[in-house]
Amino acid sequence: MGQDKLLVITDQVAVSISAVSDAIKKLRKEDVVEVDPLIITQATSDSLTSLEFSSIDDVVSLFKTLEFPSDQLLGNISRVLKPGGAVLFHFDSQTIGEQMKNPSLEHELILAGFLDIHRESFGMKCKKPSWKIGSSFALKKTSQVLPKVQMNDDDDLIDEDSLLTEEDLKKPQLPSGDCEVGITKKACKNCSCGRAGDEEKVKLGLTMDQINNPQSACGSCGLGDAFRCSTCPYKGLPKFKLGEKIALSGNFLASDI
Amino acid sequence: MCLTEKKRENQLLILYASQTGNAMDAAERFGREAERRGCPSISVLSMDEFDPSELPNKEAVILVVSTTGQGDNPDSMKGFWRFLLQKNLTEDWLKGVNYAVFGLGDSSYQKYNFVAKKLDKRFSSLGATPIIERGLGDDQHPSGYEGALDPWMSSLWSILYQRNPRLLPNAITPDDTLMDQPKVQVIYHDTEEGLSPMTTSTDFNYLEMQLEKAHSMNPAKYSGKNRPDCFLKLTKNNLLSQVESGKDVRHFEFEAVSCVSEAIDYDVGDILEVLPGQSPEALDAFMQRCNLNPESYITVQARDNENRGFQKPSSPVKLKSFIELTMDVASASPRRYFFEVMSFFATAEHEKERLQYFASPEGRDDLYQYNQKERRTVLEVLEDFPSVQMPFEWLVQLVPPLKTRAFSISSSNSAHPNQVHLTISLVSWTTPYKRKRTGLCSSWLAGLDPNQRVLIPAWISKGCLPPPPPSLPLILVGPGTGCAPFHGFVEERAIQSKSVTTAPVVFFFGCRNEEDDFLYRDFWLSHLQKDGVLSEEKGGGFYVAFSREQPHKVYVQHKMREQSSKIWSLLSQGAAVYVAGSANKMPADVLSALEEIVSNETGVPKEAASTWIRTLERAGKYHVEAWS
Repeated sequence: MGQDKLLVITDQVAVSISAVSDAIKKLRKEDVVEVDPLIITQATSDSLTSLEFSSIDDVVSLFKTLEFPSDQLLGNISRVLKPGGAVLFHFDSQTIGEQMKNPSLEHELILAGFLDIHRESFGMKCKKPSWKIGSSFALKKTSQVLPKVQMNDDDDLIDEDSLLTEEDLKKPQLPSGDCEVGITKKACKNCSCGRAGDEEKVKLGLTMDQINNPQSACGSCGLGDAFRCSTCPYKGLPKFKLGEKIALSGNFLASDI
Repeated sequence: MCLTEKKRENQLLILYASQTGNAMDAAERFGREAERRGCPSISVLSMDEFDPSELPNKEAVILVVSTTGQGDNPDSMKGFWRFLLQKNLTEDWLKGVNYAVFGLGDSSYQKYNFVAKKLDKRFSSLGATPIIERGLGDDQHPSGYEGALDPWMSSLWSILYQRNPRLLPNAITPDDTLMDQPKVQVIYHDTEEGLSPMTTSTDFNYLEMQLEKAHSMNPAKYSGKNRPDCFLKLTKNNLLSQVESGKDVRHFEFEAVSCVSEAIDYDVGDILEVLPGQSPEALDAFMQRCNLNPESYITVQARDNENRGFQKPSSPVKLKSFIELTMDVASASPRRYFFEVMSFFATAEHEKERLQYFASPEGRDDLYQYNQKERRTVLEVLEDFPSVQMPFEWLVQLVPPLKTRAFSISSSNSAHPNQVHLTISLVSWTTPYKRKRTGLCSSWLAGLDPNQRVLIPAWISKGCLPPPPPSLPLILVGPGTGCAPFHGFVEERAIQSKSVTTAPVVFFFGCRNEEDDFLYRDFWLSHLQKDGVLSEEKGGGFYVAFSREQPHKVYVQHKMREQSSKIWSLLSQGAAVYVAGSANKMPADVLSALEEIVSNETGVPKEAASTWIRTLERAGKYHVEAWS
């Protein structure tokens, strides 16, 4: 266990060792010898801004003034404290009588987010909640036990999910990246990204001349789709004889929307 | 393990579980390839034709399985799988059995090839010896599952040959030139024996007979489907969507004309399977192209009875009827083997070459572009290769069987005695070559006129949505045509509520916008009224996600999140969740939303919520009917 980080803050210009060790004993109930506290004098609300959050284990406050530390300072104390860390507000012996008459002490500490608030003979003691900032819990109701589900007795069968390994359960790698419409990746049966539509828009690119007087260098175009190359401009059209006008069905004459 | 029975040696068993015919094709291909390699005894069977307790006696088993739905087993595998999952099967139950698994799946699904993966693992954990690592066929591969099948099969044969040369004596030099024999034989008759020329029977009696005869002649393809449960007459064909919307969604009403039982009988959530008609023009064109006489009478039998069991001879059926009722000539695409057989019957050299190319491994990609991708029909293929004259026997064997199409029933039988209703969206698309195509069944139905007096053979079957008892609270999610079964659920519950107290129903619907495709709008709203099944007073709810009414997309899962506490309240009362619709992603999105809801409402972490929902599934409280 590393050295505990203890912070002592005071509005005084200086504090006596005995006052510090006294307060620490009250906080830690141990000797002060082991501890090397960080001491901030002439502390104001801003004094703690240089300290990192959740960096301090415990805080001792030795303020001489009648006033209780401000909201801002309390907030900063809370910030730098580790969760679960304790704070001791040691009031000055001369003003303690007056200060303890203040009924709002607990209130202010609660607002600043502290728990376990106690009035002591020397002042106040409290703690920062021990869960980390950002953890949430159901405020509306206590954590419910999920209702038990009535099961049919299929106890004579093994659980088939146990037959699958980690590897099996991992989402399969889809053919990567290339969303270009081509031969390799196909649109899903229920395509929602539009790829299926793109696959349909294979351009015909035929001119009227090509329809009226079709020619074919390879000689295969007129034989029908079964013999055409993937880049054939006549793909999808019926068979034709070279030089004779191609009989188009209604499909191709309708314009693209 | 039975010690007295000696393993039958040198026998290859090929078992398949097929949903749409792909696994069956692959299995039959294995059978042919084994035959070419001289295997002395081959059996190719669907898993529901085989008794799994016989497995320990087998020397070598190849299993070909498809993945269907959301990573589920095909129907024909359910019994077989249940048997295999028994806890009391020991880890040496399959000792000495050599096996190999090939799966057909699609890697764009989360549960890619789960069926094959689980089967492979189970077999090996029962002591069977893998011949080769499992093969996984992938629809996303350029040539589909055959991309993985070809190399896998090569390795399979060579390893099998090494282990037992007598199993595949010709493995080194398979006989590729051997022309296979067709599996059926066709006998022509002069007249329809046993029936007077002037038939006195009514329309549906005649149709029924023709259908029964035709199906019984090829039981391999129609197991369990010989006799329709009923014949239906169309009484209503109403467009539900707006014409301008570009969608064509219809409400169909049918009356049962004749049933196996007294009147038509079904539960809400059930499935109606319909045998579509084929266009007379297409049929005529096919018969002309193949030089067939539509008026002749035929009987069709299996050439060898070894695998199919004894078939009792059937009286002749009209050729035209046989084709019309059992052979899909203008919709389904033929398989690679069709092209291979065609090549043997092509007289023009360039056609022969092209067909051989298509049938070869090198030509697989081009075949895929030309045939499967374009959804080329048998008729189109035959017209593209005019020199091919295929004997009718081969056509009977290789033309894809005319399949029934299944739809979720959208009516409640109690609300509409002797009727059944459907909600169907017209399937239409443009092919890569820019040809416009429509779905065979949906376009045929859409074009039907109630006055036409067409009789439709139909079967009722159970789907994935069991009918809920009236006391079960329901959370229903059904965007688009997914609302169909829930239309029946609501009708049914409304009737039940007249005599017993019914539990709340909450329904999440989705569509593009209120104008175009808000299917059954008035119906849902009427049940939202005071004391209706969906009303507030009854603890119910009805929520619609209009996806295109605002710049950002709003889907059913968004609406569900808005009703988080209501959903949780129902779930903690023991509600069941039903999800139906025609999208791949939707069920996963809905599941995700539910996990979030459970997690948020109870404060438990997402993983715990996810596990809890899985137990809902196993307890029969979470059902998904998804179609593509």
